[in-house]
Amino acid sequence: MKITGPKTLALTAITFLAMGGCSSAPRMEVHTDARSEAKDAFPSKPGHQVLPITLSNSHGAQSSLQVHRFDFENGLRLLVIEDHTSPTFAYQTWFRVGSRNEVPTRTGLAHLFEHMMFKATKNFKEGEFDRILEEEGAMGLNAFTSQDYTAYVQELPKDSLETLVKLESDRMVNLVVDEAAFKTEREVVQNERRFRTENSPDGTLNQELYELAFSKHPYHWPVIGYKEDLENMSYTDASNFYRRYYKPASATIIISGDVDPNQTYEMIKKYYGGLQNQTVAETSGPVEDLTLIRETPPKSPQRKTLKLNLQNEKILVSYPGPDIRSEDLPALNFISGILSAGKSSRLEKALVDSGLAQGVYASPPDAADPGIFVIGASLQRGKKATHLEGVLLAELERLKKEPISKREMEKVKNLMQFDFYEALNSNSERCRYLGEFESITRDFRFGMDLFRRTMEVTPEQVQLAAQKYFDPSTRTILVGVPK
Amino acid sequence: MKKINSLFALCFLAYSLNAMSMEVSFEEDHSVPLVYVSVSIKSGVVADPAKKLGLTNFLGDMMVRGTKTKTKEQIDLALDQMGAQLNAIIGTEVLTFRGSVLKSQLEPFLKLFGEILTSPSFPEKEIKKLKAETISAISEELSHDAGLASRRFARFLFGSHPYGNPLIGVEKHVDSFTTNDLLSHYRSVMQPERILVLGTGDSQKATLEAWAESLTPRLLDNAKHGAPLPLSAPPIPVANNKGLRVLLVDKPDRTQAQIFIGQFGLKMNEPRYFPLYAANHAFGGGSFQSTLMREVRVKRGWSYGANSAFRFGLQPRSWHVYLFPASKDAPQAAKLALDLVRDLHDKGVTEADFESSKKSLINGSGFNYNTAKKRTENRMTEKNLGLPEGFFRSYASELQKVSLDAANSAMRSFVDPDNLAIVVLGTASSLKEPLAKALDISPRQIAVVPYQQE
Repeated sequence: MKITGPKTLALTAITFLAMGGCSSAPRMEVHTDARSEAKDAFPSKPGHQVLPITLSNSHGAQSSLQVHRFDFENGLRLLVIEDHTSPTFAYQTWFRVGSRNEVPTRTGLAHLFEHMMFKATKNFKEGEFDRILEEEGAMGLNAFTSQDYTAYVQELPKDSLETLVKLESDRMVNLVVDEAAFKTEREVVQNERRFRTENSPDGTLNQELYELAFSKHPYHWPVIGYKEDLENMSYTDASNFYRRYYKPASATIIISGDVDPNQTYEMIKKYYGGLQNQTVAETSGPVEDLTLIRETPPKSPQRKTLKLNLQNEKILVSYPGPDIRSEDLPALNFISGILSAGKSSRLEKALVDSGLAQGVYASPPDAADPGIFVIGASLQRGKKATHLEGVLLAELERLKKEPISKREMEKVKNLMQFDFYEALNSNSERCRYLGEFESITRDFRFGMDLFRRTMEVTPEQVQLAAQKYFDPSTRTILVGVPK
Repeated sequence: MKKINSLFALCFLAYSLNAMSMEVSFEEDHSVPLVYVSVSIKSGVVADPAKKLGLTNFLGDMMVRGTKTKTKEQIDLALDQMGAQLNAIIGTEVLTFRGSVLKSQLEPFLKLFGEILTSPSFPEKEIKKLKAETISAISEELSHDAGLASRRFARFLFGSHPYGNPLIGVEKHVDSFTTNDLLSHYRSVMQPERILVLGTGDSQKATLEAWAESLTPRLLDNAKHGAPLPLSAPPIPVANNKGLRVLLVDKPDRTQAQIFIGQFGLKMNEPRYFPLYAANHAFGGGSFQSTLMREVRVKRGWSYGANSAFRFGLQPRSWHVYLFPASKDAPQAAKLALDLVRDLHDKGVTEADFESSKKSLINGSGFNYNTAKKRTENRMTEKNLGLPEGFFRSYASELQKVSLDAANSAMRSFVDPDNLAIVVLGTASSLKEPLAKALDISPRQIAVVPYQQE
């Protein structure tokens, strides 16, 4: 497929208008209005659309940020944010592939393949990618894999953009999956697994929780994979995985920094525009899409205790939750804030201040497919998880029964507002923020909309979500105790 | 060759001394409506009294747990209501309060922050609670192999010198802390000449200056009553660190070992700093192209990470190599790392590696100061380590002057392969003999300590 220009060239402007001075924290308002098009809001190509999303409050505006979106004919998407505060830029390539796209017996392939992406290509021998970029002055040259996505990230001085685009576009389709390199990297990953899971009580518990909470869906297995599966994996598996999932149509490039959006678009078009989507070797056969599987919530509570090499007990509690697109997600986000955001949060007071735990967190589901709401705590020395469990569950029951006060709602909103701004406070952080939503929902604006809806959550919605999701019969409890 | 350092526009990190010698720096950054305020106090672990290890860390945490007018609960609630964060962070030679807040809430935030700094109350109830939390955190560290090995390496290398002391203390000492200990230590630590106020974000320098001015009179009383504390660590005793010393921290059921190999370091303001910095980067300074990564990870797949790094202080601290191979590979990996350190001393880094590293460091040097937050952090480090102003901006020009010969000559005089401290955390029953064999030493030369033993 030869690409000479964007098929549907959409240009999106996101404007963040922030607070002015005031004596008390104002309520944040987020307006999404796709109907009001402002085609000439900034220099653009003919046919560009402008879909303004505005964050504002009653105290006026202070800053703005615009995201330029370009869609190419081969399916590649480009997001560009101009920020001239330093002569640098962040460049991230997000692929919509993660461990959810794996199959049993080949768990860990997405992550192992992420390692392989730094190997030789048809045009550059092994080590050249790193060497060239490091010599250009690259910062944070790295990659990461999750259940839903894989991302390749770096920051560079502004005049290194073309060098990077050339290298990144090359490895998207020209990687050489070599057997010797694969075997060495597989051993590196085995060692990473020993580090993250096998010799880490937290890693072991986390793996076990997902194994208990999911019986059929790929979220069941760890992103890093199982030891035996990694041992049995071949470079042919990696090669097929590459051809199946690494292609322009699966990727979004996100650039933030000292760049010109239109010039960047032309450069991306030059190097990526002609890339064709790879096809899978016929011999590899079809792959069953396990992501279509929906878990049946457990009919009775699950509980497991693991004896681990740790000093203080740990507990993880989870409940089945929705996927990220659910209308209930804003309320669940808000609940996580009520439970664990800030030192005056409910669980911090009930578990840490009371002397039971050293630390506690509550994490809402944030995945492409239905996930889990997780609450975790590390206990203080000599304290029992079984005791903490009772206190924790009582707090969840309280959420179901008692409406949240206006003051507590405002407090949680302020804390979430702070987190939102922090997530947009540097080139690499804002690329990451956009990349996660772009990869999971195919539209980074979902993140802004989710934030807006979270800011609009009512006490009634909190109560209803708690009643709906904190169902004792679907609960999974995992306890780690010293050996 | 690009030099992004030269492309940076002037930034506006303004600083000044207030009337009572408390330095204030602030850089405006209006990209998001947040303000960051840090207060750094020269003290840290090195300020801990001998029988009160962990007291400075404990003091920092206690200061945000009660003032003369507010309880911990009221402070926590007020900070959360403002959408603010405030934490005390302990370092080896500095205690830092890091605050951040929504711009709209800066005024009440600074008022509360000021009260925390000048009027802590150290309530008995909170001392008791914090002791339990800290002692739990000390035992929790035993579950994290990498952190535990790093801590044991510092202790093994520095012995009883304060650089070997744990940041959060030891259980016996923490359990003994009293209100009087805290009051006395507070007066010694919180003296205006030790304090640096730094900020960045959506505000103005004048706001922070006025705030710092308002704190000074309230802190002057400490200067009158506080016992004097040293402003830096004492010199490092070197007499006992001769030969290859090996410590095996025995932890059961390990399938992976944590390996630290190292020696005393240098100060950042020494003339050989930049030659050593360049040579270390080529050897193991975090690059995938480094000798260590190439030999340990890329060629052999033995460890997910393999690097070498300096730790800096007012006195020379440490330089170490770190890797974490599978237990089965640990003896050979330790030997390989040791051989590579010997090669580094004897042969130095290659010209190709050096030139590549030099380009990388020079071209990337702008990332040392490309954000307002980094620039204020740099200012803090410069002040706290006695470095000249603009030190972090000078990297490109300083590195440009470094030749291969200078780098290798500096490394030859610095690295001491016959007098290294080696700490391996792993399961002794399966590691001790193979490790001794690989290192060509007698098993008796390997000291074994249980991982729970301080």
